[in-house]
Amino acid sequence: MGKILMKGNEAIGEAAIRAGCLNYFAYPITPQSEVAEYLSHRMSEVGGLFLQGESEVAVGYMIFGAAGCGERVFTTSSSPGVSLMSEAISYIAAAQCPAVFVNIMRGGPGLGGILPSQADYFQATKGGGHGDYRMLVMAPASVQEAAEMIMMAFPLAEKYRNPVMILGDGLIGQMMEPVEFPEHLKSEPTNKDEWATNGMDARKSSRRNLVKSLFLDPVKLNENNLILKEKYERMKREEIRYEAYNINSDYNILIVSYGTMSRVCKTAIDNLKEEGIEVGMIRPQTLFPFPENAVFEAASKKECIMALSIEMSMGQMVEDVERCVHGKCPVRWYGKCGGEVPTPEEIVDVVKSYLS
Amino acid sequence: MNISLDGIVVVVGNYGSGKTEISINLAANRKHAGIDVSIADLDLVNPYFRTREARKQLSELGIGVILPPDRYLHADLPILTPAVAGLIRKPSTLAILDVGGDKVGANVLAALADALDGKAYRMLQVINPFRPFTDTLKGCMKIKGEIEKASGMSINGIIGNANLIDDTNAGMIYDGYDFVTMVSKDSGLPLEFITVPAWLYDEIDMNRFLCPLLVLQRQLVPPWKKAAVL
Repeated sequence: MGKILMKGNEAIGEAAIRAGCLNYFAYPITPQSEVAEYLSHRMSEVGGLFLQGESEVAVGYMIFGAAGCGERVFTTSSSPGVSLMSEAISYIAAAQCPAVFVNIMRGGPGLGGILPSQADYFQATKGGGHGDYRMLVMAPASVQEAAEMIMMAFPLAEKYRNPVMILGDGLIGQMMEPVEFPEHLKSEPTNKDEWATNGMDARKSSRRNLVKSLFLDPVKLNENNLILKEKYERMKREEIRYEAYNINSDYNILIVSYGTMSRVCKTAIDNLKEEGIEVGMIRPQTLFPFPENAVFEAASKKECIMALSIEMSMGQMVEDVERCVHGKCPVRWYGKCGGEVPTPEEIVDVVKSYLS
Repeated sequence: MNISLDGIVVVVGNYGSGKTEISINLAANRKHAGIDVSIADLDLVNPYFRTREARKQLSELGIGVILPPDRYLHADLPILTPAVAGLIRKPSTLAILDVGGDKVGANVLAALADALDGKAYRMLQVINPFRPFTDTLKGCMKIKGEIEKASGMSINGIIGNANLIDDTNAGMIYDGYDFVTMVSKDSGLPLEFITVPAWLYDEIDMNRFLCPLLVLQRQLVPPWKKAAVL
């Protein structure tokens, strides 16, 4: 099948089906509602299930239930909805169930607005819910990448028995771009007989599986947290993804930016290059695990006088950039978080202000 | 062959078929031809990339732009300003109604039924065969039926808008033309015009087409690109 023109939200829905996920629970919220709209047609065509929950809280636990039964399952929402799901995400991580969550971010806090934002970085990477858990978080910068990350997310969730989040800003959901769904990213659900409550008859076993997040024995709870910690450390070793842009030039400023914001930065970097000003960029594709070494090495280049975290938030990822730069150069933030996306011209002016 | 549309023109189609891009460019095209043009943004279902994004350029051209009040411009609320009914009752030489996608978007037309009652109109369905659900005749007719049912109005023409945005090539324009020609013949709906992006125009063999062509100066661009001059 060749390329077709899709809205990001439609491509996310289609990619999940192509990835073999036939269970979708959701509650509508702008700017993500087209995923539900699209899957309301498509799930019935492919024999899958779409159930609209009565709230995002309910949806979170529908996901937990289906994942605990060993089914491939996912949901999509936007910022306030993900806040409501965060309790269930904590339970799902604690019970080690694989599931995929998509957050098409809008401006916050509170009800905020419906325009694009990246202000849920902390919520996604540091845990919106309680307890010591992490999600593997991927951040697409195009509709094509959103489709591919969705297709990758299901096997990754199963590899780690852990929730995976695709974190896109509103533009990712709303913009239209050509997209195709790579055959090589299709995957079969893994065998979950070892742990899932998928029925003793179904797995021809006399052993009862138990999916739970309650560990009243402090030793057992600590053991469970150590198991989770080891998984997160393994993610750091095996799952870091990033794109380096103009990184072989003699740049004085390093930009760190992700999602659609990074595409604005690319245009700015190209425009600056025409004026003889070199700027490099690291674009994290995984926000957890964060590309720590890539940022450190890029900021350690001797000509680099500053790392600039550019994000549609009031400065969240900048804390990870500071952590990774290890004082090799000063770190600054630039961004907006009302729904207005900074323009290439603004980025050019910010870069120049630090060079003058 | 020039586009000769006037009167009330209602632009409908499935989500993302290109209704707004076409409405804006059609307004500019007809204004440049010297006629009096107004455009109303009736897209109550799409939160981003609406006619309102191009209002500055349209206003500067002297095109009347009817939008919800400023304070609601970024709300996802179904606000239908009374000025739309006013435009239908006293239309400019060409009055373009840019309607939201699918049957959901077309619901708004039912709310304008009183104003539209007895008025002659052209209701044109935009078709991009590179979009899901409209890559077959059956798919196009299903969307047509749903929009007609929701709006209580009849589609009486089609617009071919074959494109993959920046990945569009001449072959796609020709294939798209053949597709909408087939849809036109089968359905009996006249093919009003097809579109081609301005940057591709020089590569297109115009002799292949038996309908007018609207050259699109792209307006609905992401923040890292610049809208073309209308």
